[in-house]
Amino acid sequence: MRVLVVEDERDLAEAIASGLRREGYAVDLAHAGDEALVKARVYPYDLICLDLSLPGTGGREVCRTLRAEERSDGAPQPRILMLTARGGVDDRIAGLDDGADDYLVKPFELKELAARARALLRRNGDRSKAPLQVGSLELDAARHEATQHGTPLALTPKEFALLRYLMSRPGEALSEFELLTHVWDENANPLTRTVRVTVMTLRRKLAGNPIETVPGAGYRLKDDA
Amino acid sequence: MKGFLRSIRVRLTLLYSGVLFVVAALLVAGLYIGLSLSLRDQPLSQGGAIRATVPVNDGSQTEERTFVDAQAFEQQVNARTLRNLRNFSLGALAALFFASLAVGWVIAGRVLAPIAHITQVAREIQAAELSRRIELAGPDDELKRLADTFDSMLGRLDLAFASQRRFVADASHELRTPLAIIKTNLELALTDKEATDESRAAAAAVIERAIGRMARLTDDLLALARLDAPAVGREPVPLEQIVADARDEFAAAAAARNVVLQAADGQGWVVSGDRDVLKRAVVNLLDNAVRVAPPGSSVRLDHGEEDGWAWLAVSDEGPGIAPEDQGSIFDRFWRADDARTRPGGGSGLGLAIVRQIAEAHGGSIEVRSQAGKGATFVLRLPLRAEQPVPV
Repeated sequence: MRVLVVEDERDLAEAIASGLRREGYAVDLAHAGDEALVKARVYPYDLICLDLSLPGTGGREVCRTLRAEERSDGAPQPRILMLTARGGVDDRIAGLDDGADDYLVKPFELKELAARARALLRRNGDRSKAPLQVGSLELDAARHEATQHGTPLALTPKEFALLRYLMSRPGEALSEFELLTHVWDENANPLTRTVRVTVMTLRRKLAGNPIETVPGAGYRLKDDA
Repeated sequence: MKGFLRSIRVRLTLLYSGVLFVVAALLVAGLYIGLSLSLRDQPLSQGGAIRATVPVNDGSQTEERTFVDAQAFEQQVNARTLRNLRNFSLGALAALFFASLAVGWVIAGRVLAPIAHITQVAREIQAAELSRRIELAGPDDELKRLADTFDSMLGRLDLAFASQRRFVADASHELRTPLAIIKTNLELALTDKEATDESRAAAAAVIERAIGRMARLTDDLLALARLDAPAVGREPVPLEQIVADARDEFAAAAAARNVVLQAADGQGWVVSGDRDVLKRAVVNLLDNAVRVAPPGSSVRLDHGEEDGWAWLAVSDEGPGIAPEDQGSIFDRFWRADDARTRPGGGSGLGLAIVRQIAEAHGGSIEVRSQAGKGATFVLRLPLRAEQPVPV
């Protein structure tokens, strides 16, 4: 799951990003509205945490612009979670009417931010169940636990994030590029074999080889894994 | 009865009909007395009588007899006329009294109706909802002017409350941001199982920055609140004293940013005011100037006199202020976009405080700037009446 954190207070942006990375998200940062728009047009974010008071293009305008645009690659619209220090009812209504999916007032607990992020990302049709379950695999994002046949798996954060993304779309062939853009942040070098390497190490920790290679298309998590 | 008399409508009615009744009663009494006196003074009959010679003793003799004494007759007629007049007058007075009560009640009600309307609206207006107006219709009379005065007062109150609400919202916004930084970083540091001394030190540094920001903000908020009180000192303060104080306080900060602080020598002008407060205004201006000044440039602090005003000017060689922003830089919490993200930025209250200090001293503050060519802030203060004799 890839997240964009838009926040002009760098100290706060860094802390939110660290907290979300710890939850297994791939997190990018933007410190201004224009920067956020550029990044959101380039990368298919699953979630955007958007501060309202930004220099230049404000958060509400960013939100409206994003909602008005179709993504060029046809990817679904990102979920938008607004973060703001203005907690009045009118402010919240305005934010939600601009197209935000949820609204969190500063100061907030990172735990709550993470829970709301999970809830927002769960809202996609068949991803409605928490924890995720595919065959013998179970993944609880809130507890950061993954099990196979009830046995806990010792996964690195990246392996965990990769498994989570695969489990959110079981049976679909996912290209290396798609995995790279949703599981890794903007600092990943697309020219390295980082996806392939992580898939390999994840496979080694899973019994019964549930991740298939689909020649020419990418990887697929078997429905009956 | 007392409660009944508390109504202006009742009192007006009673006063009106009372006065009318007294006037009418005096008039009637005057008429009555005048008439009765004039009737007594000028008898028409002048002692005349109707006499006739009538036969007596079976017609053998005649005797002159008086049949009707005109005077007595006239007196009786007069007395009866007067009595009738008195009765009719008393009846008319009584009728007049009740009629005037009714008329007075109606007239007082009509006159007082707008006041009832004003009272009603004023009662409905709550402090939180000042958008209602009386909007009294009708001719431009005393009551309309009263209602219009109320309306304009409500307008000013509405503006003041709105500005107060905005200020509180802004202040809470400004305080919540560092709070959010502190809270988030603390939570991150406390829940990190793999925290190192280094990461904890980094979190502590972030938190310290945020606390410093809150401290500056609360200081500035307090300064603003204190300036709202009317009691600003009125001692004589030499301009050069303010300049020297501000320069001393700011020398270290300027040096730390590699900015040269140039202050002209004193010329002995004296203003009245509070020395510490005036110093704060100049320090705030210097703080802004040093913050935007590129390293190696200089910030000038000049002062002098012009047209009976003392002036203090702070000039920098920074990026200047765009013309469209020059009107709003003295607003509370206004900040240039790039200044909001700059580390060590101010509270957004510095220039608002300067303006308030200037106004509290009967002076003014203005900015002259061209984008790219630095900015000059000019603080004008009224000169004190008695100036020291130049040596």
